[in-house]
Amino acid sequence: MKPKKIKCEEAKKYLSINLGEDLDLSHCLEIKKHIEQCPMCKKYFETLEITIKCYQNYNVELSDECHHKLLNKLGLED
Amino acid sequence: MHEEELIKLAQSGDKKALSELVKRHEKTVYNFAFKICRDKERAEHTMQETFLSMVKSISQFEGKSKLSTWLYTVITNHCLMAARTSKKHDWDSLEEEIDTYEEKNISSWNIDPEKVMEDKELKEQLDKAISKLPTDYRIVFLLRDVEGMSTAETGEIANLSVPAVKSRLHRARSFLRQELSKVLQYET
Ligand SMILES: [Zn+2]
Repeated sequence: MKPKKIKCEEAKKYLSINLGEDLDLSHCLEIKKHIEQCPMCKKYFETLEITIKCYQNYNVELSDECHHKLLNKLGLED
Repeated sequence: MHEEELIKLAQSGDKKALSELVKRHEKTVYNFAFKICRDKERAEHTMQETFLSMVKSISQFEGKSKLSTWLYTVITNHCLMAARTSKKHDWDSLEEEIDTYEEKNISSWNIDPEKVMEDKELKEQLDKAISKLPTDYRIVFLLRDVEGMSTAETGEIANLSVPAVKSRLHRARSFLRQELSKVLQYET
């Protein structure tokens, strides 16, 4: 059981460090293989991606009032 | 019209060009400010301060970096300054929390990230989780993962080395996932 646990910790760390970077394939082949085969790490990867997507999709709208107040403050209202 | 041309016109005192530059960037600036502070009023204030600085110093803008990069830097500095004066975070305990937290069982989340905007409760959870992060960690996560900057650009804007960006990013990502996991995991 123990070696597997260490692998998972390593794989999770690897994922959260390297997500979105160009991955050096030869260096991490073993970890990649682990992630593909380990359901826990797969879920970790999935939920990490969902976390990021949620923050990406959460936007606020700039109201017209806000926009006009800004231009006014800058002396640029036409 | 290209941005460089607009900047040149604005530098020569053309108010229409200046106002066009504001219009092109105001949504991004407002959103980024909001994403850092998670408060609309403060975001509006930060946006106003950022553009006031732009108007004041547009004549010195040399175009070595993109105007948007420059705006991100102004917002970042503004928010870091504001955080320094409020200083409410105890990061040591948070760091410990990341290291010691152990999920017995990682299960799937029953949410659709495409529907975030319709889900008020989820939005509250997202605000709450990211608000627990120290401002510099928040900024690194937002620049890199939400605004899509490279690690190097993020470092340039936040005035951090590449290794410092990477370690903050790693911590921020794991922490946010962990916080959301506590509320989003569904029992099976
Ligand atoms: Zn694993």
